[in-house]
Amino acid sequence: MRKALLGLMLVVPTLAVAQSEELENPGTVAAVQERAFRMNHELVLGLGALPLDAFYKGYYGHLAYAFHFSDSFAWQVIRGAYTYNVNTGLRDQLERDFGVVPTAFEEVQYFVGTDIMWSPLYGKSAVLNSSVLFSETYLLLGGSVFKLTNHFRPAVNLGLGVRLFQSKYLSFRLEGTNDFVISDKPFNIITLQLEAAVNFGATE
Amino acid sequence: MSSKAFVRNSLVLLSCVLAAGTARAGKGTDPVTGEAPPDDPVADEAPAPLPPAKPGAGAAPPAAATKSEPEAEPEGAAAPQQHQVGPKLFDEALQDYFQGRPKEAAPKLFAFTESVSPTDENYAWAQFFLARSLVDLGLRHAGAVYLARIARERSNPAVLPKALDELRGLADLPHDEEMIDNQVFGSLDLGFLPEETAGFAHYQQGLVDLKVGNERWANTHFAKLTEGSAEASRARFALLVTRLKTTKRDLPKEMIDEFLELSKDPKLTQDSRNESMLAVARLRYEQKDFNGALEAYASVKLPMLDPGRAALYLEEAWTRYQLGQIHAAMGILTTLDAPSFRDEFLPDKYILRSFIYRDLCHYLPAKRAAKELTRRFAESLEAIHEREDLAQDVRLRRAAISHGATKRAEKFLESLDLEGERLGRYAGSFGDRLFAYLTKLYDLAHAESARIFQVRLRESVRVEADKLLRAAEQVRLMEYEVGLKLYERVKKGAKLVSEIKEDQLTPTQVRYHFVNEYWNDELRNYRFSLKSRCIEETGR
Repeated sequence: MRKALLGLMLVVPTLAVAQSEELENPGTVAAVQERAFRMNHELVLGLGALPLDAFYKGYYGHLAYAFHFSDSFAWQVIRGAYTYNVNTGLRDQLERDFGVVPTAFEEVQYFVGTDIMWSPLYGKSAVLNSSVLFSETYLLLGGSVFKLTNHFRPAVNLGLGVRLFQSKYLSFRLEGTNDFVISDKPFNIITLQLEAAVNFGATE
Repeated sequence: MSSKAFVRNSLVLLSCVLAAGTARAGKGTDPVTGEAPPDDPVADEAPAPLPPAKPGAGAAPPAAATKSEPEAEPEGAAAPQQHQVGPKLFDEALQDYFQGRPKEAAPKLFAFTESVSPTDENYAWAQFFLARSLVDLGLRHAGAVYLARIARERSNPAVLPKALDELRGLADLPHDEEMIDNQVFGSLDLGFLPEETAGFAHYQQGLVDLKVGNERWANTHFAKLTEGSAEASRARFALLVTRLKTTKRDLPKEMIDEFLELSKDPKLTQDSRNESMLAVARLRYEQKDFNGALEAYASVKLPMLDPGRAALYLEEAWTRYQLGQIHAAMGILTTLDAPSFRDEFLPDKYILRSFIYRDLCHYLPAKRAAKELTRRFAESLEAIHEREDLAQDVRLRRAAISHGATKRAEKFLESLDLEGERLGRYAGSFGDRLFAYLTKLYDLAHAESARIFQVRLRESVRVEADKLLRAAEQVRLMEYEVGLKLYERVKKGAKLVSEIKEDQLTPTQVRYHFVNEYWNDELRNYRFSLKSRCIEETGR
């Protein structure tokens, strides 16, 4: 009981201060601005990497097209990438010293996919207090098909990306995705990519 | 080699050759352009009238009085005095100048001007290059003094246009308005000047006439300006502003159109275009065309991330208040609380905020907002009531020097201080005589500009104090009014008035909640939200 009273005594003055502030400066203020950058048809060109496989590192060129239904919702209609793979030392050692055949390693050769893009965060940052940088953060959910060394495999794609707006027509995307490859032994393929996006047909 | 360097080197070469030629032929030459004298019809003729003797030439250097005393020479222990004064020294100085050594050139040119007769053909050129050397060294006022002297003495017609061009450039920065604007451009004989310089001089002389209230004479000068030139546009602007000041009532509608036209004139600077647009807004406000005024305020173009001008925001807030957009008006008042405007002197801001709270029937905040003015300016009000020296009051002083002629005088005074300090750095390289002369020149200029500043400051401070007193009077009225409202009886069954509709967010808009952090790009976009507490009888 005493503790409850003590708690009440501590909380009440806080509420009183809040009320006093409301009395002194009633009302709320917000900055309402026209959205500086709006996307419509987006063509994406980028470079990426498959960094996590222990037996090879993949580097790929990436091309995509996305259509934005609104400022927060878009469909990345098609995306595709072709990879250039570089063996790691471990793989070389396995092949050389233990006679493992190269086809035993499943490598990504190319992949295509489609995603839904949801951009709940849009904001701006002050760059050294001298300019303003607009950006948005988006989530990706979609499907991919990977051409591996020996098979085609479907995958569910989840991703997170940040877009930095350069101008009405040009923005840069940095995103990371994780594809859950569906197979007898499911595994993940993680991608990191940096992309330049060209925007067409924006009304603003 | 860049074209600039090439021209400079050519000029040095030419000046040397021409100087040699001068010694032989005894003809005047142009060390800047290297033009041969026969190409210059003016130079071909007898030189321009020369002053009878240098010491009599108005602002002759104090050191000039002693220049003829041979024993005075060794006292100037610096290098320039060791040179034999004559064409060779002049050539050396030019060489120094064109090789980018104005610090070495200046004392030599000074020694040359001090030692030769004003009738010497290179005398005006020496003054000109001395002026440019000083300007290059950051001693703009000293440079301007020499350029102004060339303009007054007119000893060499070839130098005069160049000197005037330099002066035009210097006039864009804080400068001695009496010496450059009034004594040089305001009283120049314009018959022989190149078109562009003459245009500027005509414009300045027209301005002088306008200032003394002689529009007819001003028009005579302005009529000589080339149609479509930048000066012609500026002259139209000056004429309109003068008419605006003199016309108290029944402003002709054409005046708004003319200002509107000027606000789109690309020959004017962006500042002048903005001023024109502001004039349009103010005139429309006077004519109660509030929507038109808002349109004009929105058309004022500010650089990216520029915080803008406090007066513009306040005027826009009043316009929106008149239109009944009290939430938008309050949003703008939030803008005026930004740190960028913390030092602005805007007593009206508190009054308007108080009006808005009162109109929404938030009487205590209304009273508090009004009292904020007397609290914030308590010291200034006390100084006014106690009849103290208002120029010593920090807020009033800051307000007074924030605009107009007082601001210009203050800027010039500041620049003199800066240049005075800079001069100290050249004490060693300038030699005693040039240094002593420039020190005296700066001391005199400083004393005079300080006097002018004080005169203007006293007048401006009085104007600001009047403004503050009027606002304080409004506060008392507001307190009285709010006191009445606070104790007004509410009739039984009275209802709240219907809400003033606030603009809804459109799909293309973004809303950033304000948490006391001001972003320059948002300053024009604040929206205030507060429910009215008015009952039907007293609602706005």
